[in-house]
Amino acid sequence: MKTQFCKTGLVLILFGLGISSCVNLKHVNEFSVSSLASLSKFEEIDYSFKQNCLENCLDKKIDSLVIKQISCNCATDEKADSVTLIIYQALKGYFDGLTHLSNNELTTYKMDALNSSLINEAGLDKTQVEACSNISKILLRAFADGYRQHKIKEYVVAANDPVRVLIHFLDFNLSFNLVGKLDVQKRRIGSYYFDLTKDSTISTIDKRKAVQEYYLQLDKIQVRQNELRTYSKALDKIAQGHQVLVDNIDKLSAKDIREQLTHYSSDIQNVVSEFNKIKK
Amino acid sequence: MATLTAEQVNQLATHFLDMGTEIDNYRQQQYDKLTADERDKMKDLVSKILDYSESLYTQSATLVMNDVQTSLITINGVTADIKTTYKTLQNVQKAINVAASVVRLGAAVMSQNPQTIAVSIGDLAQTWAA
Repeated sequence: MKTQFCKTGLVLILFGLGISSCVNLKHVNEFSVSSLASLSKFEEIDYSFKQNCLENCLDKKIDSLVIKQISCNCATDEKADSVTLIIYQALKGYFDGLTHLSNNELTTYKMDALNSSLINEAGLDKTQVEACSNISKILLRAFADGYRQHKIKEYVVAANDPVRVLIHFLDFNLSFNLVGKLDVQKRRIGSYYFDLTKDSTISTIDKRKAVQEYYLQLDKIQVRQNELRTYSKALDKIAQGHQVLVDNIDKLSAKDIREQLTHYSSDIQNVVSEFNKIKK
Repeated sequence: MATLTAEQVNQLATHFLDMGTEIDNYRQQQYDKLTADERDKMKDLVSKILDYSESLYTQSATLVMNDVQTSLITINGVTADIKTTYKTLQNVQKAINVAASVVRLGAAVMSQNPQTIAVSIGDLAQTWAA
């Protein structure tokens, strides 16, 4: 009777241990899942430094009525794209790893194959095998989750500074440099279409068509800029959320950190919805 | 001579854009008062200033590499460590599966049935390689 009571107690303690460590990492996983999803929106931004360079090159050919096949030199823009891509991939790799490591499924070990081998092949008692298996599962889970939590703390702290720097420069390249190039493009088309409206050899109807074309182009540029600025908001939320995670790294199980991270996850998801709306 | 940072080059690009914008605004406002030659000269000037601005924005984006190198090395190191830990935790499941296959192989050996032994060896090899 006493032995049975002890066994049950042990199982309950281990079960509690397993559950608590499982809950502790859930919000870390939710945060990294939404961070990864919004970070990956980078791949949906269908604009780049090279594309901007090619468009400008084409506009110049049109402006100066050049029909000859002149290649556009966009080598530096290609380099700018590759620098931006390298930063993105490094961040994506980190959040992808964090997502996998914080996923509770990782330590939900399946014992069914072993149980069935022990029962069917080794001829052991089914009840005994299942009881041992359950205890092993809980012990394994508690140990693995403790190890996982310890490692995640270590990684999140080590990654915080680089994450902050890389997010800053990814944002800088997109919402300062690429958006800046789009501002230049806006100015260029403004100047070009202004001259068309002043050209006395063009009819009023053609001038109206040119103005209409100007607004269409302007709108296209603004949509691109909005897309980049929305992505920038998502990056900012990811950096803030990661900082909150680091600042509270020693109280991962506390209710308020869970709430804060859930709040950041939901903010990031809202920005993703905003981004998707622009893309439509 | 000290080299400019990505952020300084970006600021320079924005100054060029502002300058180009101001000159172009002036050209547009004074369009009717300017001679054809003056308009052309100002248009060329604006175009050149905007070219500089564009090129500086691109330069700034490439210069970012100087600012992120250390961070890239650190984060890639952390990511590699995360992958190792992930693999270690996954290997626990693999060990359980291997144990199950070993038990099955043991039972097959005891049964002295060559066909069952062969199947069990194949099964163990497959689990090991997974």
